[in-house]
Amino acid sequence: MSSRAVRFSILGTTVIVMAVVAPFLPSKWMTTLTYAQIFAVYAMGWDILSGMTGQISFGHIFFVAVAGYTTGLLNLYVKWPIWATIPLGVMMAVLAGLLFSVPALRLRGPYFSLITLILPLAAARLVIILADWTGGELGKFGVAALCPFPDFKANQYCNYYSLWGVMTGVGLFLVWLSTSRVGKILEAIRENEEAVEAAGINTAKYKIFAFAVSACVVGLGGAFSVHANEAIFFNSLMSLTTSLEMIVASVIGGMGIIVGALWGGFLVRGGEQVIRELAQLKLPIGTEGLALSFLERWATLIFFTLLIILLFFARQGLLPLLAGLFRRRRGEVRGG
Amino acid sequence: MALLHVENLRKSFGGLMAVKDLSFHVEPGEIVGLIGPNGAGKSTVFNLIMGILKPDRGQIFFKGQEITHWPTYKIVNAGIARVFQIAQYFPRKTVYENVEISAIPNEIFTRAPDPTPKTLQSCERTGLCEHSSHENHCICREELPGMLPQGGLRRLELARAIGTDPELLLLDEPFAGLSPAEVDEISHLIASLRNEGQTIVLVDHNMRGVMRLVDRIVVLCFGEKIAEGTPEEVARNPQVQEAYLAGGGF
Repeated sequence: MSSRAVRFSILGTTVIVMAVVAPFLPSKWMTTLTYAQIFAVYAMGWDILSGMTGQISFGHIFFVAVAGYTTGLLNLYVKWPIWATIPLGVMMAVLAGLLFSVPALRLRGPYFSLITLILPLAAARLVIILADWTGGELGKFGVAALCPFPDFKANQYCNYYSLWGVMTGVGLFLVWLSTSRVGKILEAIRENEEAVEAAGINTAKYKIFAFAVSACVVGLGGAFSVHANEAIFFNSLMSLTTSLEMIVASVIGGMGIIVGALWGGFLVRGGEQVIRELAQLKLPIGTEGLALSFLERWATLIFFTLLIILLFFARQGLLPLLAGLFRRRRGEVRGG
Repeated sequence: MALLHVENLRKSFGGLMAVKDLSFHVEPGEIVGLIGPNGAGKSTVFNLIMGILKPDRGQIFFKGQEITHWPTYKIVNAGIARVFQIAQYFPRKTVYENVEISAIPNEIFTRAPDPTPKTLQSCERTGLCEHSSHENHCICREELPGMLPQGGLRRLELARAIGTDPELLLLDEPFAGLSPAEVDEISHLIASLRNEGQTIVLVDHNMRGVMRLVDRIVVLCFGEKIAEGTPEEVARNPQVQEAYLAGGGF
């Protein structure tokens, strides 16, 4: 899984499949995958910092919120067009990441993780305090749309492919970065930070850089999500669940290899949709009410149990597991 | 001018004085042995030089420049590298990838040359080439460090240190935990580095092992320098003999 070519081909195959299948998808699935693409961007952004350096952040949703609120509110109140407010939102996320990373990276392990968890909690408070302006927990509607077509279908396609473009661009950049010299250093920091210092590398500088890139990517996803929704949704920009799901996605797919987070992102969001559809299945009359309520209540729990079972058998994640099987198979053929 | 100059270095841990007003210097091209019984403060001296520990007082000069309070990476880039007593490697990277980290410069945005030739050179100088590789052409081993024997790990440590282009190499107990055959291999390797002009400070508690390798010996006992001189002079010194007998012999 270390080779650059392998990662680029997995990325390439995935994004090509995503581009090709879109027209054949039912409308509901198209919407799901539109948002799954944003979520995959979040997960890949989390992975370049936490997956690669081992500094586990619980609070990456904070950067989604910073970028999302910046672009949304500027667009809403100052009436700046989205091509100006989205980059400003991303810049704010990077700035927030830089400001935060300098003190945060002095802490290690669980202390670092805890401090990252406090960020989105504090930001959510702030948004509620400034509710007159931010809309508080209700959010704000009327933000400029990413795709201003009057036709629903055209809009859906435009959103899907715009976010596909964002995901593809982010994926290409992060796979390149993760396999560059910088990526090698980040991996080495995860394995033995003292040894990296002993090799003459300023590890703090590299971690701050990774923090900035991570905040930038996650912020980009957050800014686009606001305009795809045409609204500032408090529950989506401030969701701690999403923050934790970024970790789940990356771990499930395989940490620190970017494409693992990409796959994990689709698995988590796609899996949730499958469970939701199962919960709405038409069942024989009589059993219907019982089964429905059962599935609805237990769906998420079942889904996460399945994920835990998967992790039990493939602790290193899905992609490294597949790669290992593939290599063993090839090895057997060569040996025989 | 001395390459390394340590002056009145002092470091205590609570009530224990680990290094007490230590001064010594290292000339370019020299191999200096820093020896002493267990607990004499030898490894602490290395940690102080590398900026891993901060001294209570005293100064460290490298090439005439004071480096006392520099961070480790800056000291390494100035030209000092250290081989740890306990191998410090990247367990999930191959031997090649381990050595490569030392060849990567400390700049994120850089057009620095490809680190590959330097990595291969470090492997070649420490004997970490693949056995099946072509003549005159080294390919670093592709196995994980966990697969290497103790002697191989020591070579890997040396390769990672050499990869930073050090003017001064600090070796912390390079023979600890090695079989007699591996001790021979590693001392040959150190001798060959010396012949290439590498300046080395070598820490060991075993004087006999380093006698034939070093030009000069500094003897530490309870954090203090009790003797300094050629191996022959030091071996004849009654204070040294006493310290070693009291500390369990050598």
